[in-house]
Amino acid sequence: MNAMPSEIGQIVWRHRNVIDVDCFTKEELYFLLDQARHMENVMDRPIKKVPVLRGKMAVNLFFENSTRTRVSFELAEKMLSADVVNWSVSGSSHAKGETMRDTAWTLEAMGADIVVMRHGAVGAAQYLASKLKRAIVLNAGDGTHAHPTQALLDLYTAWKHLGSLEGRKIALVGDILHSRVARSDIIAFKTIGCDVVISGPPTMMPREVAALGCRYEKDPKAAVQDADMVYLLRIQKERQQDGLFPSVDEYHRWWGADSDLMKYARPGALAMHPGPINRGVEIASEVADGHQSVILEQVRSGVAIRMALLYLCGGGAR
Amino acid sequence: MGKILFKDFKIFNGTEFIDAHELLVDGEKISAVGNGLDAPDAEVIEGYGKILSPGFVDLHAHFRDPGGEWNEDIASGARAGAAGGFTTLVAMPNTKPAISEPSLVEYVLSHGKAAGASRILPAGCVSKNREGKEMAELLKMAEAGAVFFTDDGAPIATSSLFRLALMYTGKDLPRIMEHPEEISLFKGGQVHEGRVSALSGLKGIPAASEEIDVARGIALARETGGRVHFTHLSSAGAAGLIRQAKKEGLDITCDTTFHHLTLNENAVINSGYNSRYKVNPPLRSKEDQSALWEGLLDDTIDAIITDHAPWHMDEKDEPFQDAPFGIASLECAAAVLIDSKNKNYPDVPMGLILKKMTSAPASLLPEKWKSLGRIEEGAFADLTVIDMERTRIVDCSEWYSKARCCPWEGIALSGWPVMTFVEGRKIWQVNEEM
Repeated sequence: MNAMPSEIGQIVWRHRNVIDVDCFTKEELYFLLDQARHMENVMDRPIKKVPVLRGKMAVNLFFENSTRTRVSFELAEKMLSADVVNWSVSGSSHAKGETMRDTAWTLEAMGADIVVMRHGAVGAAQYLASKLKRAIVLNAGDGTHAHPTQALLDLYTAWKHLGSLEGRKIALVGDILHSRVARSDIIAFKTIGCDVVISGPPTMMPREVAALGCRYEKDPKAAVQDADMVYLLRIQKERQQDGLFPSVDEYHRWWGADSDLMKYARPGALAMHPGPINRGVEIASEVADGHQSVILEQVRSGVAIRMALLYLCGGGAR
Repeated sequence: MGKILFKDFKIFNGTEFIDAHELLVDGEKISAVGNGLDAPDAEVIEGYGKILSPGFVDLHAHFRDPGGEWNEDIASGARAGAAGGFTTLVAMPNTKPAISEPSLVEYVLSHGKAAGASRILPAGCVSKNREGKEMAELLKMAEAGAVFFTDDGAPIATSSLFRLALMYTGKDLPRIMEHPEEISLFKGGQVHEGRVSALSGLKGIPAASEEIDVARGIALARETGGRVHFTHLSSAGAAGLIRQAKKEGLDITCDTTFHHLTLNENAVINSGYNSRYKVNPPLRSKEDQSALWEGLLDDTIDAIITDHAPWHMDEKDEPFQDAPFGIASLECAAAVLIDSKNKNYPDVPMGLILKKMTSAPASLLPEKWKSLGRIEEGAFADLTVIDMERTRIVDCSEWYSKARCCPWEGIALSGWPVMTFVEGRKIWQVNEEM
């Protein structure tokens, strides 16, 4: 159930840094998915290790806590035989009194080859990349802006299940306004040829949805209608304190995914979520644990796609 | 001080280009404008057809003196202004401490004089310590030399304070300059609410934030008969409100900035969220940008300002979301505008641009300074020579300003000031053969 061979041509990989998915062409996305398939095979071997990044130093620089993303990158790096350093900075760089520029120069002085960064500020990954001369930067999430590896693992998961993604419909439901996952997913799924529809409370939508190049349906049923993929976004409960919606209960009643909402999608549609899930908020347990859910597969895909990116960008391919 | 004879210049007198090519300065003043002027004892400056304009007047520049001199002190700001063709700069009062009493007004004036570069005129705060509570000593500050009253950096905190200040200042004290912003819509904002906020996820600052405060100021001006000057206008909606208010006959004026005229939100997106483009009010949509040009053309917008905000590289060079708001531009603003006008708005007359940088802003200053921004016999010899043929790459490392970064760094611009005079004294000349 994979894409037609014609969709996966041989290409010359031209990317060093990955700040967002908008740098990739459709051909590059399919090439990456195919690479991830090979990487996933490594995960099933008795000895889960290949030597493509041997002797390279990968630094996982996390300014925000994200155990899942960090562990996923770390597993990917270790399976590719990189030396891994986890550098967690609680709070912002300012809290330590060090500017990001100094952090970047420190990393370079220590000889880092690959920097995976999660940061709370929009533009942080681009900024870091602009300061590093030698090391490459993979963005593991910059504020509300982008989360490219999440979008790529989502693509990979959908591709494994649905084959060619051309003309498929994906409905993203939830807080689009504050979601880096949504922003990167919209770009990734559009680039690969999907029809993208978003839904959620109007207070959690950007004002110029047109700029994102997708449609907005206030009513999630209309958004989910005939969808091949229903993607639920995590609702952060503090958004309710910001006054963006009146109660979690009301949110769940209107935009939460239960089996009734899933009935509007195509039979066999996938239920997806970036995790960690809030049961009873954006997703009911009957959907999260149901036969349509691919949420745990997404987690597995994350390791494979990160291995592929590290391999292609991190010098392993050269 | 001796005499200077300017020969072979295209002379712009503050309103229009005139049919005279020579100008004689005697001491601090302009003594004659004409052709075939006779002054055997004068130093002669040949223009070879360059433009001779009244020195530029910037109604809105930030220096961090007192309190943040490492970013910019009055002397470095005055020298930066001179190198940008500005002969008069109005210093905003949001320093530490804020300029809200007469002794501090005198401090700014005396440090400006000592710098011996552009003339520095202080603005005073509307409220004591810029706290937005009680009215500051506006009469005393006006007497000491304040030329505007503003709590810039923030809007006047309450409508009642705004109203009282308008009643108190009336038509004879300096104008109230309002930073138009509705705080609850600004809070946490980073960029224009529109395309750029949608794509980046950065919190948007809606244009309504500006419109609401402009509407408030207009209502209060109407009720009190006071004069309000709205500064750094950025939105089409606010320009529309001011156009209406002017038609109604209210004494409402406004300005916009060099950067809002020449950049829009797409610059933020295309730069990959580079903090050099982070400014408040934010760079808005292409439509807003066009509306500002229309506003200049129909005189809805009276003046063009820099809103020079001198951040040190160490503070500004951060990821977009962590960086402070503000663009430093004194030393390239005029070139940025002239270059952009010629390339993107060729139908806008050069004279209009120059008027909005000279006589138009000067006319909003107190009576004492009304003759600034004009070339006429008896006026102060505040002059700027502009070389329209000069093309140069913006290089912030050469700046007098301590803020050494701006959005135009590395970009080639054509049309630069090359020489500046204040009261008949040459305060700056470009560091090359003219």
